[in-house]
Amino acid sequence: MSTEPVPAASASDPGDAVDAILSATGVSKIFGGLVAVDSVDFKIPRGAIVSIIGPNGAGKTTFFNMLTGLYKSDRGRVEFDGVNITNERPDIITKLGVARTFQNIRLFGTMSALENVMVGQHARMRSGLFGSIFRPPWTRREEVDVREKAEETLKYVGLRPALMHQMSVNLSYGDQRRIEIARALASEPKLLLLDEPTAGMNPEESARLTAFMRKLRDERALTILLIEHDMKVVMGVSEQITVLDHGEKIAEGSPQEVRHNERVVEAYLGSREARAVQAED
Amino acid sequence: MEAAALPVRRALRSSVGTAIRKFLNRYGLIIALLALPVYFGIHDLVNQHSLTHIFENLKDGVSNGAIWALVAIGYTLVYGIVELINFAHGEVFMIGSFVSFSVWSTIGLTLTTGALGVVFGLIVTLFVAMIASGSMNVLIERVAYKPLRNAPKLAPLITAVGFSFILQNVGLEWYGGSQKGVDDLIRAQTDFFTIGGVHITHADVLAVAVTTPLVLLLAWFITKSRLGKAMRATAQDPEAARLMGINVDTTISATFLIGGLMAGAAGLIYALYQTTIWFFQGFQAGLIAFTAAVMGGIGNIWGAVLGGVIIGCIQQIADDRMGGGTWTAAIVFAYLVLIMVFRPQGLLGEETREAG
Amino acid sequence: MATARPVGARNPVAETTHAIRERIRSDRRLAWALALVVLVLVILLPYAFDPASPFVDHCVTALAYVVMALGLNIVVGFAGLLDLGYVAFFAIGAYTAGWFASAFFATVNGGKGIHILTGTLAGAQPGIHLNFILVLIVAVILTAIAGILIGLPTLRLRGDYIAIVTLAFGEIVRVVAVNGQSIHLGGTNTLTAGRQGITPIDSPELPGMSAFSPLDLRPWYFTALVLVLIVVFVNFRLRDSRLGRAWIAIREDEIAAASMGVPLVKTKLMAYATGAGFGGIAGAFLASYLNTVNADQFEFSFSIFVLAMIILGGIGNIVGVMVGAIVLSFVNVWLIPDVLHDVPSKLGLNFDLTELSFGIFGFLLVIMMVLRPEGLIPERRRQIELTEGVGTDEALFEVRS
Repeated sequence: MSTEPVPAASASDPGDAVDAILSATGVSKIFGGLVAVDSVDFKIPRGAIVSIIGPNGAGKTTFFNMLTGLYKSDRGRVEFDGVNITNERPDIITKLGVARTFQNIRLFGTMSALENVMVGQHARMRSGLFGSIFRPPWTRREEVDVREKAEETLKYVGLRPALMHQMSVNLSYGDQRRIEIARALASEPKLLLLDEPTAGMNPEESARLTAFMRKLRDERALTILLIEHDMKVVMGVSEQITVLDHGEKIAEGSPQEVRHNERVVEAYLGSREARAVQAED
Repeated sequence: MEAAALPVRRALRSSVGTAIRKFLNRYGLIIALLALPVYFGIHDLVNQHSLTHIFENLKDGVSNGAIWALVAIGYTLVYGIVELINFAHGEVFMIGSFVSFSVWSTIGLTLTTGALGVVFGLIVTLFVAMIASGSMNVLIERVAYKPLRNAPKLAPLITAVGFSFILQNVGLEWYGGSQKGVDDLIRAQTDFFTIGGVHITHADVLAVAVTTPLVLLLAWFITKSRLGKAMRATAQDPEAARLMGINVDTTISATFLIGGLMAGAAGLIYALYQTTIWFFQGFQAGLIAFTAAVMGGIGNIWGAVLGGVIIGCIQQIADDRMGGGTWTAAIVFAYLVLIMVFRPQGLLGEETREAG
Repeated sequence: MATARPVGARNPVAETTHAIRERIRSDRRLAWALALVVLVLVILLPYAFDPASPFVDHCVTALAYVVMALGLNIVVGFAGLLDLGYVAFFAIGAYTAGWFASAFFATVNGGKGIHILTGTLAGAQPGIHLNFILVLIVAVILTAIAGILIGLPTLRLRGDYIAIVTLAFGEIVRVVAVNGQSIHLGGTNTLTAGRQGITPIDSPELPGMSAFSPLDLRPWYFTALVLVLIVVFVNFRLRDSRLGRAWIAIREDEIAAASMGVPLVKTKLMAYATGAGFGGIAGAFLASYLNTVNADQFEFSFSIFVLAMIILGGIGNIVGVMVGAIVLSFVNVWLIPDVLHDVPSKLGLNFDLTELSFGIFGFLLVIMMVLRPEGLIPERRRQIELTEGVGTDEALFEVRS
């Protein structure tokens, strides 16, 4: 098979005994007879930056959605940090320490940047109906803490303080991306999933984001999984790359290995050819 | 986190749980639907040693269900294409009944009119009622829904409820607040023929004879005609349909028109079948028909027909056997809740990416 | 700064009101001062009228409707769930008063009745008689439980299905209320008295307040006012809380909300149960005030009546909803029956306007949703959501299970 063994990424122990923060085995998703993801096995080494790539419609986002609980998988098993999270609810998965961003930014439009990030901390907060109504001292303290932490997180991702109280629909695309990452970070994740984070960015911005991902991993002890189209970003930042095509995993390995993998080249070439043919019609 | 023995027990429990859930998912609704007829069937067999009574109920259910099917088609088409519960649809059906009665009174159909006259007159009435309800539905769409196409989905639902109240009041002022008896033009309760002790009445024949060709025609139209194809394309993906050159606005209006036409036909059948009309008839009919549409699988015409017949049977049994009809509404609504909660995709509906 | 179409850009009057509202919003002390002035006026109001005057009567009803509308506002305005069966909670609250504050269960305790902290009037009667405060508490508990029982299976559905399922529940409750005479609870006791109604209901007997009677409506008025203050307080607190933020998040994007750790069903359930609780309080109060619990009170149209208050006033805006409730309440109990009733006949038309009141409310709903969906006093977020389509309705079914 062309599926190469997972190389030791930055994690310390090599080979099969790699310490995986997330592992998926035989995960499948079928939409009305159409197999969108076909028994994919997948492991993310703890502390690594890992990418999933593939042509359009390869099932990358569907796979993402199964990891985060937005879709129920039809077969297979997903484990996160030793806990079985297969078909678990998204909020529970978030609480366990998985956070994500979306391909087409999904901020809460009428909320300010700050409020968006405060919602990101929902899973780490405790006050419920009683606390919300009667606002006892511990609820007040929690609110203050959450607000401070949200400000801090927004500063960390580089949002200008002047923009923190602006309604997020009114902010620029780049700022919205920042807020979305801040919102995900606010839930104190161990694993961060980024769905095409550089979409719509110029090369300079992409490079900055790439550097930021490394900084995140190092400073916040995060593991990062990203879906990405920009090959420069992917090849530059990833320690492991998984390639999906038509819902199947066709290759896995280091950037070098994947770059020279025949099936990968074929899959990408095939789709480009198909596009060329369509354009001629 | 768990003790060593626990995973096994958990696995066992969850596998039994999944098996039960799978079974209920697949057959639960069917079991729930069969419960009433089977129970009363056995009851009849034991107490009367004959199934005539339950068959009589089911026969009434089918013919009554034919009316609900026509109304349900309106819900299912509209929901399929704009994902809106056209709450005023029941009232469009009521208007169909009211128009029918006033038309046949105007053209002079009475109990003494000859058979040929009645048939001809009713065909005219049918056309007028269908056109009236159809245009009413298009009007509602233009005034109340179209301006809100980009608003949150609950906004048009609220205007739909508002329109339903307006039309109820129109009906109230038209023929008053109480049930109005209308001429029994077709001698609804007279037997057409009897089969195995089950009386097939004129009303039954009328309901089935009007509904069947209409549904067949509609099914043909949706699958074969240009407009029908445009409707299906729009239902799948309005944006893509627009890019393909389909006029989405016209297509949506056409959908409301067709739904209204069917409701108008149902209105005429109802007036002849029940021989009473009422400004409030649309409220309950609307909910029953909506239940039928969801039961069959929303967006699916044959589902609406199947759902209509099933809910018709349940309703007849409840009317006939349980507290003289006082509980019927509650029973139908209970089914609505059960279906929505346990099988929102309905009997014939498939789980899809968007609607689940 | 604001992408929202400026509310008042069209004419000078609207511009001024907009400016005033901005001023109040930005200046908290001014807002408090205004609220205090209004409160004092509202407290003094009944002393300007005869204690049994129809105006005070209308005011008591209006205040009860404010409680109900603000309860529903938590569900519809905050959490964004369209509840078309709110009348169910009105009914359950009213029946709580019917069951636990009247002689309805005449045979309990061997005909001697059960009395808990009741005053002298109710203390001598058979049946179950709880103190009015206890009745309110029981009403909250029962309606909240009913809300949870209804909500738990249904709140995972998509929004429009929730609307219809709640409507169906409301109708089921009504049918049970109508037919409750044939549901026997042992002995001669039945569940409800159907369309005859359970009557009379105990009037509250509270220490430190003068007698609640039809001749002096002021105690009723002040009781209703206290209930309004409670529901207003709860509305404000919930709006600006972790829960309030979670509701906005769910309303605007369920998928993102769930992915940020907001449990959808539980969070919606809290809105639903809280809203139900206030419906129950208002129901128990109204049962006692109207002195009857009659199955005909619990029609579907009542749910729409309360919904119309919210839409008219401004969905999600607490002050707006109060205004909407008061306006529609007076339209319903005073304007249509007392003032406009003879307009049709003056125009040479032969119909009774009161018959048409729900058509008028329906018309209002359509007009408001099409022309000014944000209501008379809009809530800023809601206005943007409604007029600019911020937020998504995209439904991922699997998220909710």
